[in-house]
Formats: sequence, C-alpha cells, structure tokens
Amino acid sequence: MTSISNTKPHYMRSTTAIPSSAIASARGLVKTYGKGDTAVQALAGIDVDFTRGELTAIMGPSGSGKSTLMHCMAGLDTVTSGSVVIDGEDVGRMNQRQLTKLRRTRLGFIFQAFNLVPTLTAAENITLPLDIARRPVDRAHFEAIVAAVRLETRLHHRPSELSGGQQQRVACARALVAKPAVIFADEPTGNLDSRSSAELLGFLRRSVDDLGQSVVMVTHDPRVATYAHRVLFLADGRLVGEIINPTQASVLEVLGRLDATPATDAGDDSGVLAPIGF
Amino acid sequence: MRRVALRGIRAHLVRFILSILAVALGVAFVSGTFSLRTMMTSTFSGIVESSMLGDAYVRGTEPVAGSSTTGTTGETRNTVPASLATQIAEGHGVAKAFAEISGPIVLVGKDGTAVQSTRSPSFGMALHPNDTTVTVVAGAAPSGPTEVALESATLESSGLAVGDQTKVVVAGVIRSVQVTGEISLGTPMAGATIVFLDVATATAAYAADGMVATIAVYANPGVSEADLVENLTPVLVGDKAALAEALTGDAMRAEARTDIDSQLGFVLTFMLVFAGISLFVGAFIISNTFSMLVRQRTREFALLRSVGASPTQVFASILIQAAAVGLLGSAIGIGGGLGLVSLLRVGFAQVGMDLSGSIPVDAPTVIISLLMGTVVAVVAAAFPARRAALTAPIEAMREATTTERSLLARTIIGGVFTATGAAGLVAALIAPEDGGSVMVGVGAGLVMLGTLLLAPFLVRHTLGVLAAVFVATVRPLGRLARGNVVRNPRRTANTASALMIGMALVGAASVLAASATASTRAIVDDGWSSDFSIQSATGNVPIGAVADTRALASVNAVDVLTYGPAVATGPGETASAENPLWVVGLPVGAFGRSVTIDTVTGALDTLAHGQIAVQKAIATDRGWHLGDEVTFPSRTGTISARIGAIVDTRLIGSPIIVSDVFFATIIEPAQTTVEDLLITGAPGVTAAELRADLTDVASSYVVLSVLDTEDFAAQIASQVNQILLILYALLGLSIIIAILGIVNTLALSVIERTREIGLMRAVGLGRLQLAGIITIESVLTAVFGTVIGVVLGVAVAAVMPTVFDGVGLTTLAIPWVQLAGMLVLAVVVGVLAALWPASRAARLPVLDAVASD
Repeated sequence: MTSISNTKPHYMRSTTAIPSSAIASARGLVKTYGKGDTAVQALAGIDVDFTRGELTAIMGPSGSGKSTLMHCMAGLDTVTSGSVVIDGEDVGRMNQRQLTKLRRTRLGFIFQAFNLVPTLTAAENITLPLDIARRPVDRAHFEAIVAAVRLETRLHHRPSELSGGQQQRVACARALVAKPAVIFADEPTGNLDSRSSAELLGFLRRSVDDLGQSVVMVTHDPRVATYAHRVLFLADGRLVGEIINPTQASVLEVLGRLDATPATDAGDDSGVLAPIGF
Repeated sequence: MRRVALRGIRAHLVRFILSILAVALGVAFVSGTFSLRTMMTSTFSGIVESSMLGDAYVRGTEPVAGSSTTGTTGETRNTVPASLATQIAEGHGVAKAFAEISGPIVLVGKDGTAVQSTRSPSFGMALHPNDTTVTVVAGAAPSGPTEVALESATLESSGLAVGDQTKVVVAGVIRSVQVTGEISLGTPMAGATIVFLDVATATAAYAADGMVATIAVYANPGVSEADLVENLTPVLVGDKAALAEALTGDAMRAEARTDIDSQLGFVLTFMLVFAGISLFVGAFIISNTFSMLVRQRTREFALLRSVGASPTQVFASILIQAAAVGLLGSAIGIGGGLGLVSLLRVGFAQVGMDLSGSIPVDAPTVIISLLMGTVVAVVAAAFPARRAALTAPIEAMREATTTERSLLARTIIGGVFTATGAAGLVAALIAPEDGGSVMVGVGAGLVMLGTLLLAPFLVRHTLGVLAAVFVATVRPLGRLARGNVVRNPRRTANTASALMIGMALVGAASVLAASATASTRAIVDDGWSSDFSIQSATGNVPIGAVADTRALASVNAVDVLTYGPAVATGPGETASAENPLWVVGLPVGAFGRSVTIDTVTGALDTLAHGQIAVQKAIATDRGWHLGDEVTFPSRTGTISARIGAIVDTRLIGSPIIVSDVFFATIIEPAQTTVEDLLITGAPGVTAAELRADLTDVASSYVVLSVLDTEDFAAQIASQVNQILLILYALLGLSIIIAILGIVNTLALSVIERTREIGLMRAVGLGRLQLAGIITIESVLTAVFGTVIGVVLGVAVAAVMPTVFDGVGLTTLAIPWVQLAGMLVLAVVVGVLAALWPASRAARLPVLDAVASD
C-alpha cells in the first residue's frame, strides 16, 4: 500500500524561472496501440519533467500524441514501456485500486466537455472528489476557490442551468478543491467563447501563481498556450520543442516550423486544426 | 431504410438481448399454455374416445342438480333403471347393452395409504364380462366381492401387484380384497384411480336401488349409430320415454368433450392471465429499450433526416427493428414454451398424472405466439419511434441536449383514473350490497392503471423519501444514485412497473389469504362446539365409519353432517334444475351440541317437525320469509316444507339446513356426501383418550382424519397456503421479468452514462463505489415498485372483507411479516439485478469512458 497522507505542504510561493523539482516526470515513455501490422506508435520514447508550481502547456498537431501523453501521465491509460512518476509515486506500478486512490488524492482533471455530473448541483460537483474520498470539506478553502471562480451565486444550480463558461469554472473549482499535486486539463477551453476562455485561463494561471498549484494543459490553441509558463511541442509521438514564457508569436513560429517539416507526415491526418476563437 | 434498421440491430445486439428475452418469456408462457391445453385436451379426449365406445347411450331425460360422482362429466341427469339394459339388449340391431355402474372408491396402496393423485378422481366401476372397451392385460377379471382388478396406471402408482391382498373402502365400508388382474383402457387416464369390480359387487355398492346413470349400447355390425338410436326408440315408450332417452355414441362423446373443454378452460384462462401480465410487463422493457436507443441515436436520426429521410421512414425503420426483436423473441419463446410444457409434463408424471402424446406444436399456436410477440414489441416501440420520427434535422448539428418531456398530461390522466378507481372502492365499502364486487373489480383495475400512469410523478416526489436512508448512510453514493433514479422518472417508473404489478397481486393475495384464514378461525371458534370432527380426504366420509365411531364407549354423540344438491322452489317461483342449492342435513340434536347457529327469526327446533332453516342471504335474495312453503323434488313427487327459521351462520356454507330425516327424503343417496362427523365425548373422557379412540377407527379407513378446532383451523390455513403457493410460483415469473427489466434499464443507462461514469472514475470514484451506486439505483427502483405495489394490493384487498362479507370473509388480517418479507425480496431483487450492469460498469476502462463519443 502506498502511504499517501495529506501532509504535503501547500506551496504558496510563486516560482517562474527555475523549477524547484519535478511534480511529474516520464522516462522513455512509449505507447503503442494495436499489434503487428496495424500497430501505431502514439508515443515514441518521451522524457519529460513537469515542474512543480508551473502551468505547462502541451501543443502539437492532431495525432501528435499530446492527449496520449497526458492520459499516460495521469494514469488513465497504461504505458507500453517507460516509467511515469507523479509526486514521487511510480504510476506504472500501480494497480487499479492504487490508481483510483491516486486520482482521488493527487490529481485533478478538467476535460473539454462532460465535466459535471448532471444530477448534482454546482456545489456538489465541486466537492465530489472529497465526498468520494470521504474527506471533510475545508470550508475556507472551498469558499476561497468559489470566490475566485465567481460562482457564489450559482452554487445551487444544476449543470443544465449553467452556461458553458460557468460549467468549466465549476470543473476548475472541483479540480482544485482537493488540493491535488497536479491538475491535468484536456483542452479546457475547447468549447468556450474567447471571453469565457480568457476568464478560465486567467483563473488557472492565478491558481498556479497564487496557490502554487501545478497544472498540465493540452491545447492546440496558441492563444491558450500563452497563459503557460512553458510550452512543450509534440510531433509524431516525440518531444520536438520547448518555449519558456511563450508569446503568441513564438508559439506560432514553432508551430509553423513543425508544419513545414513534413518528415514523418505519412499517417498524419492533420490539417483539421479548428479555427481559432470560434 | 430497412437495411439501416436491420444493421442497427446487428450493431446493437447486446442492447436488444434483454428485450428479446422479455418477449421470449412472455411468449413462452402463451405458447406453453396453448400447448398444455392441446395436450390435456387430447389426453382427456383420448379417455373419452377409449372409455366411451358405445354406439348409442341411454340416459335420463331430466338434468338434475348435483355433480357427477366420477368427476368426468359436468352435467348430471336423473337415473334410469339398470334393468332397462336387458330389454334393450333384445332390441333389433343391438349386439349388447350394459348398465354403466360406477361410484367413488378408496384403494389402499402397498404402503398402506390411500392411492390418490392430486385432484384426480378415484372411482370403482363394474366390469362386464363381455365389455370390449377394456382388455385384461394380466391376471383375470374380478369375480365376487373380495376381488378387484386395477387399471394399469393405478396398479403402478399403488405399488401393488396382481395377486396382492389390499383393502378398499366402497359404499362406506372397508373390504379386504385381492387384486386379480390388470386392466387396460388403451389410453393414459390422466391420473384417475380406477378399480374394477364385478357387476354384482358394483351394483350392490353403487346401484343398490337398481338405478344407473347411463346404459351403453353396442350395435351389430352394419348398423349405424343413427339407426341404432332409431331402433331403441320403440323400447323407450310410455313412462320410460319420460324417464330415459337414447342418443348416438358420437353425440355423447361430443358432449363429454365439451364438458372437458369448459373445465380445462378455467385453468387455462388463469394461466393466460399471467402470460398476459408477463407480456404487458415485457412491453415496458421494450418500450424502455427503444426510448433509450432513440435518445442515444438522436444524431443518427437527424443525419438520416438531413440526407432526405422522411419522418415516416425513420418511424418505419424503428418499427422494423421492433418487429425483428419481437419475431426473434417469439421464436425463442415458442421453443421455451415447449421446454416449459416438457417440464410440466415431467412434473405431472411425478405426481401420477400421465399426459398422452407428444408435445403438440400446431400452426395456430405458432402463429398466435409469433403475432402476439411481434405486435407487443411493435406497439411498445411505437411511442419512442414517433419521437425519433419527429427529430429535426438540425439536431444533428447540435450538442446532445435531451429535455425531459412534461409529465403533466400523464399525471393528470393517472390522477383521474386513480381517483375514480378509489371512489369506486370507497363506494363498494359504503354500499357493499349494490354491486360491490363489480365496483371492487373495476375500482381495483382503474387504481392499478392510474398508478402505473402516476408512477413517474411518484418517482419524482416520493423516491426521495425512500432514498433518504441511502443518502444519509452511504455518502456520497446514495445521493448520486438517487439523482440517477430520479433523473428520468418515466424510465424508472416503467422499470419498476413489473414489480409493481406482481407485488400488488402478491400483496392482495397475501392479505386475502390471511383474512380468509382469520375469518375461518373466527367462525370455527364461534360456532363449533363438538370435541372432534372426522373428515375424509376424498370429501366423503364412509358410512361404515359412523357406526364404528358410535360404537366407541368414549363417544357420547356422533352428529353426521351430510350435504347434497336440491332444486328448491319458493312461493311464486317455477322449478329450475339449472340452479340447484346445497342442502345440509344434521340431526336435530346437533344444534347446541355440536354446532351453534345464530337464528335471525324462528327457531331451529322446528326442524324436528319437518320444517327447514334457510340462510339470511338466500332468504333476502329469493324473497323468502319465515313460514313460506319451499318445494323440493323427491323420489315420490314433490314435497313441501315450511321455513321454520332464518339463520345467519358461516359455519355452514349452504343456504338450506334441514334435519337428517328430511334430508333423506329429498336427496338421493347417490347425491349425498357425508362431509363431517361431529363428535362429542362421553362425560369424564379426556380429549386425549377420545382422540386416541377416534384415530384408531379413522386409521382403518385410510382417508379419514380426526380434527379438533385447532387442527381444523390449521388445515384451512394450509389449504389457503397451498393456493397461495401456486400464485407465488406464477408470480415468480413476474419477478424474473422484473429483474430482467431492471437489468435492462441499468445496462442501457450505463452505456448512456459512459462519459459521466468515466468522469467520476477520473475524479477518484473506485470500482466498488461505482458498483455501489448502481446497486443502490437498482434497489431503489425495486423497492419503489414493491412499496407502491404492496400498498396498492393491500388497499384493494382491505376493501374485500367488507364487500365479500357474505361469502365468509369477515375479518381483515394483514400479514405484516409476509409484507416485510416482500420488501426484503425487493432488496434482494435489486441487488441481483445490479450484479451484471454494475460489474460491467466497473470494468469500463476509465479512458474509454472519458474518450467515448
């Protein structure tokens, strides 16, 4: 049994330049789907460290393996070879029960859609991870988060009564409430208009800057990536680039370079990058 | 469109499996019932064909009240002189003629107990030396009073062998006999116990007065049945013409078959009702399945619509799927029905009831079964199909938003039905005399239907109460489960409906059974004052036992309670044999000694002077008053008696009570049944001594039992429980279907909720917790159906003692323990139903769930 306790200090510091230590890391990560002739290598050996107290964005064209990387890092998918360590725990060696416990105590998730349980109110959705883990709700922390995402007046509404932006803010609050080691966000603004996107991303960034939260976010939108401390670029299952303190221009420039090198473009059905901004 | 529809089934076969199974179960019951009927009818027809071989029959002209002693035919006519047979035999074209002499018998088997299979008759009959309808398979025909021959199946079930010594109770006396032969009637006799006696013995036992029910006549070769009847007419002239008539063998056999059909009809109607219930409930499963599929496939329909499919085409494509599900289910069901009947046949054979022939699969059964299953499936899918057809093409482009339709209309209609039904029940309660039973029937039906319609409303507004336990104790799973159950009230209500119907019936039956037992108990405690009673398992106490009991020193008095049918004609009424009344005969001394009967007016001692007592109910019904003359037919014409008392008692069920002397003058011995010996002990004899003495006497008659009030009440209770057991067995089916329904709904909703489940798993929900949520959902649904059903059943049943006061249901008793048991059963059902869907959901890989589209 892993002896996971809640004694992990809650970093209230903001560190931008030098990562103190890696909150999550992968070594030699390979993920292959299928077998024999039909085998597709989604991750072709990735070494990566996600820094504690940073917002890291993962970018890359469709099929580059960015979602797979996130799923493997979060223990949602099994790895073919290599190791994944989250906050000192070897995820690869965990059984289902341990993975469940890991998700419950150390990880937070924000998905693109279907983030909320429709039968629960916003407040109930936010405290769901704690309820599932039967941990008491830290009221002060809860109220601080609710205030930060400006949901005070919507707490007793069902998801169907909330706007898309509000729903994603509830999801954010839920991811934060259990004070996880790291939050994985998969295209969190994919379904939002630009104003709601900006609101949400601002909030995510503040949670990192103000609360010391660690966040890993997958996106294909350069504007979204600019909210990150660091952007990692993936292509064909490999890590191909990195930008610290990105700007929209620098991101676009790297993306442009990636598109210009059609080296292993054979099986890539890219080109379906959604128009930015909706 | 047809291709799209059928591909849809193949692609989603798993989702249809339970619908197919539901149809199959219902259809299995329907086709099984039909096959069983065909099989039973052919067995009994076989008996008719092989035991009624006469070319013509002579029988009485007048139907009389009563039931046949052999139980094979329904109608009874006046008897004809057996001597007529000799006269007939001399007629033109007649080969031979025998008086058919038969009556009840008790045969003691190898193990010393009476040979009797469930509910089948046991009778002795005369074996005429030149009767060609029977064959002596082994040994010889009986001759003399100490010999009998046994029918093949009887011989086998008795365990006796040819040459064995045994005992029979015939005409009320025990007789030691030797089994001299085995006789075959050429066909299975469906469990009847048949003992052959020689003509003299049978005549002495069953036709002591020289009268018989029928005379079988066999024609010379070349003489047709019709000609034979023509030839018989000259014999039946004068006073004989008024007494006896001749008819062809074919006509006689046709009559017998009609009787059998109508008797079997009742059993089959009963079974078909349950088949109907299971199909009805199956329809809910199908409807639920299609509703969920339509919801899930909204985009697909919208796509079809946007590429040019018309609403009718979408509608038709779903109905085609439903029809395919129905056809497939029906086909499986027909196979299942055959299996069911094979099992039943084995079961019947175990209890000694052989049914003939192969299991029939006739075209009408197959066609009706296929049609029924298909129509049910199509009708059940019609509403979801209509919704699918109305999908706007634009929905293809939209985020899936499913809005729950308003429950208002359904709730209002349901409310009106329920209120009307409840009003009917209350009306029946207030004025039970004015067609109370009809009111109860219609009221109960309306309340049931109304509640089914109201159920979604109830889910939304009452399930929270049921769920409170789980919400409070199993956090946060209880709350999540409650949310899922209440989320789609229509679906939950439909799912719970199977249990609702089944449990309503079981609940009502339990209350009725408990009330019937309690009522009997109250009646017996009130009116029965004798120390012991002797009764017979055959329903008729042998007369010999009366003398034997009277001879005991420990016995003070034996009051013989006899009953028989009679046509009673009051003032201003015309005699009608159609409507005989049961008459009970008791010694005058029995009143106050063995039984206590409450008199409304008049006095019971008038019975000593040839007057009669009538029950208040029949007096009111027929407009009879104290002092009125009632006329009865008797051997010597008619006889009148004055009504000397009007009584109100449930201890004696029959409407007319007379003295034993008067009884003997109006009821022929052949129609007389000795129901009970009521025994009072001599002074100073303890109950245990008396019981020991009586048991001694009774045991030699094999079929007799000695009961005190306590035993009697227990016996009634066990009879009631036996009936209840059959009902429970049949309702087991509705529980199986209920489980199927819940499994179906849960499995489909797991598929539907894949994303949500994935999300919850991603935020840390464990597999066991997920299984827990689904189990709680299942239990909530089952408990909801059960609670509503039981409340409904108990409420309807509670009205009945007031309404059916007249038939002896006087006391309302609610069997709390059984009702609690049903609630426990509901929980068990819920847990069982959740097993598969829960484990399926738990095994969903989190990523699949998260990434599913």
